[in-house]
Amino acid sequence: MSTQNHIVRRYRPAAPLGGRRVAPASRQRSITALAFLAPALIILAAFVAWPALSALRLSFTDASGFGKEEFVGFGNYVEVFTQPDILNAVVNTVWYTVLFTPTAVLVALGLALLLNNPHLPFRSFFRTALFLPFIVSLAVGAFAWSYLIDPQIGLLNYWLNGLGVRIGNVLQDPVLAMPMVALVAVWKNFGFYFVIFLAGLQDIPASLYEAARVDGAGPWSRFRNVTVPLLSNTFAFVVIFAMIAALQAFDQIYVMTGGGPYGSTQTVVMEIYESGFRKLELGFASALSYVLLIATLLLSAAQFVFFGRREKDLS
Amino acid sequence: MFRTRFLLGAGAAAAALALAGCSVGGESDDASDGPTELTFWHGYTEADGDVLEQIVDEFNASQDEVVISTEIKTWAVIDDTLLPALSAGDGPDIVAMPAERLPVYAARGAFASLDDFYADPDSNTANLNPGAVEMETVEGSRYGVPTGFVPLAVYYNKALFEAAGISEPPATWDEWVTTAKSLTVDGNGDGTPEQYGVVLPDHATVANGLWPSLFYGNDGDIVEGGDTAVIDSPENAETLEFWRSAIVDDKISPTGVDGIGADEVFSSGKAAMTVGGPWMVFIAGDNGIDYGIAPIPAGPEAQAASAIGVSMAITAQDDVAKQEAAEQFFAYFLNDENSVAWSLGSGWPPLRTDIPADAVSENATVAALTEQAELGRPLLPGVVNSVDVLTAVDELTQKVIAGGDIEALLAEAQTAIQTALDD
Repeated sequence: MSTQNHIVRRYRPAAPLGGRRVAPASRQRSITALAFLAPALIILAAFVAWPALSALRLSFTDASGFGKEEFVGFGNYVEVFTQPDILNAVVNTVWYTVLFTPTAVLVALGLALLLNNPHLPFRSFFRTALFLPFIVSLAVGAFAWSYLIDPQIGLLNYWLNGLGVRIGNVLQDPVLAMPMVALVAVWKNFGFYFVIFLAGLQDIPASLYEAARVDGAGPWSRFRNVTVPLLSNTFAFVVIFAMIAALQAFDQIYVMTGGGPYGSTQTVVMEIYESGFRKLELGFASALSYVLLIATLLLSAAQFVFFGRREKDLS
Repeated sequence: MFRTRFLLGAGAAAAALALAGCSVGGESDDASDGPTELTFWHGYTEADGDVLEQIVDEFNASQDEVVISTEIKTWAVIDDTLLPALSAGDGPDIVAMPAERLPVYAARGAFASLDDFYADPDSNTANLNPGAVEMETVEGSRYGVPTGFVPLAVYYNKALFEAAGISEPPATWDEWVTTAKSLTVDGNGDGTPEQYGVVLPDHATVANGLWPSLFYGNDGDIVEGGDTAVIDSPENAETLEFWRSAIVDDKISPTGVDGIGADEVFSSGKAAMTVGGPWMVFIAGDNGIDYGIAPIPAGPEAQAASAIGVSMAITAQDDVAKQEAAEQFFAYFLNDENSVAWSLGSGWPPLRTDIPADAVSENATVAALTEQAELGRPLLPGVVNSVDVLTAVDELTQKVIAGGDIEALLAEAQTAIQTALDD
């Protein structure tokens, strides 16, 4: 019993803020909290904050990563907004985001709804199988896909040819290459969004569905009036997460098309890589990274506002 | 919700910036007593790697002032690894890399100038293949020593040649197309051949050299003097017209293939000829293909082939002692005995023109490539922004093969290349 008393004494609810007597205890709690956070904070500081600040500094220089560097003011930023190649990369990135985000989110949502049904046979098997692509490295998956759809030696192409379907050289087609690399990303990522949706669905109390059923609501009405509003937080999270992933598209594009054919899959991150690592223009690459970061933050903020308002409307 | 927002923000920041977060590092350590220790990064992983290790070991044993330790980084990543290492002030002392990547590093001050080394009669550099040395030269100074220089060549499948009753590889463009046509087989008549006469990629070609080689054949070029774009010429227009007609109309080659894809098509026996480098010997061997090697057929005006170059350079982080130690190794690497050993071991022709052909005759591949060595032309020597130039060439050839207007595309490429050169 004494242990329990000890716990109760130690973890009594905090007194209202401003109470003079409890201030030292509160400070001690902050210190404890900080101590627990320290390992994560130190890692974040060393591997996120410090590189981020260094990149910010670099973005105002003509650095190549080594040797001398000179301050160039906003020169790199001006170049970001005036180079035709960058405009092309921005257009491509937006197109990729439009292709990837809704597809990945809807596929994940559909499958989550389907597999949330407790009567479905082999449910655990399907759930595991659908999650599997997510644990494969995207680069590895992209290599596998490249071989599968290769017009000369690809297995998928061979089978489709047998069925009389000709998909041709998808990755060399300036119109089809982007949908193809987006498809690979959907294949790789939907499993993750699917699991999040599934968790969201299982958080919805069964009693609400029961109550709705008692009130005479059919399946569509239950989906519309129970599932949709209660899943909206999860939905917002997944959409924003998927969009951020889309804006950073790189791995499978680097592997499958290298940005081609003729720049039609060149995304902003590909452009950052090329400027930084191929042309050794690290200052310019840093500036472009910052522009992408700010654009991502603005878009995310806009979505928070949008989903926040919707949530208010629904409740 | 705030917590999610914070995490998302942090995640986005981390991911976006991980790509750009590098900084400038400090100086290398001062030399202490004892032998000078050097690290040497290279990407030679096959039989060539063993020979290189052997040369380094022998060098280490031959004297007691310098000790070199090698580290293998594959060619595909050596570039990506070098930049962060140099940024951290922790780069190698000697680095080997594809020769067309040398100018961008040299122009930004990553490498030490080797002009004094070249001027030294004991450096064994006097008789280096001039084309190879041209690839080491940036703005008039030399920054590297070649470790490889070989013209692209035609590798052909002897079994497929015999089956079609062809005994000799083609010697001119016209023969090349005729031979390829008779080796192209569309058995089921569906318009897509099951076997192609040749595989000619339209982008990311082997060492980016296929189309330059074809341009040379009709007296065309891409860049002149390292600073002037000359791609928009009537000669190049003819070349593109000639090959588009052969590839697209006569279907002698699959379209939309890149260099790696070309290797696959050839090694799977689906094409009778390909244009490649000495490693095709290994690829063909692994796939049980009995191959022959022939020079790239002569064009209407010239017979020439773009060369694949590999260079090694000394990083500028090194102090004088280390630089001298590295130069001592370079001279050793290029001496008579090692020139022959390296050529035979790597399967590439000797780098020095004064090595007699019979010194390497025991290796048939090396002997065949040595005969062709004089056809080799350096690709874009001294061009710092070769990335954008090669992108423009790729875009041109892809669009031409896809049916675009040659005149307009050449004009477009000319502008893009000149912009890249002026940058």
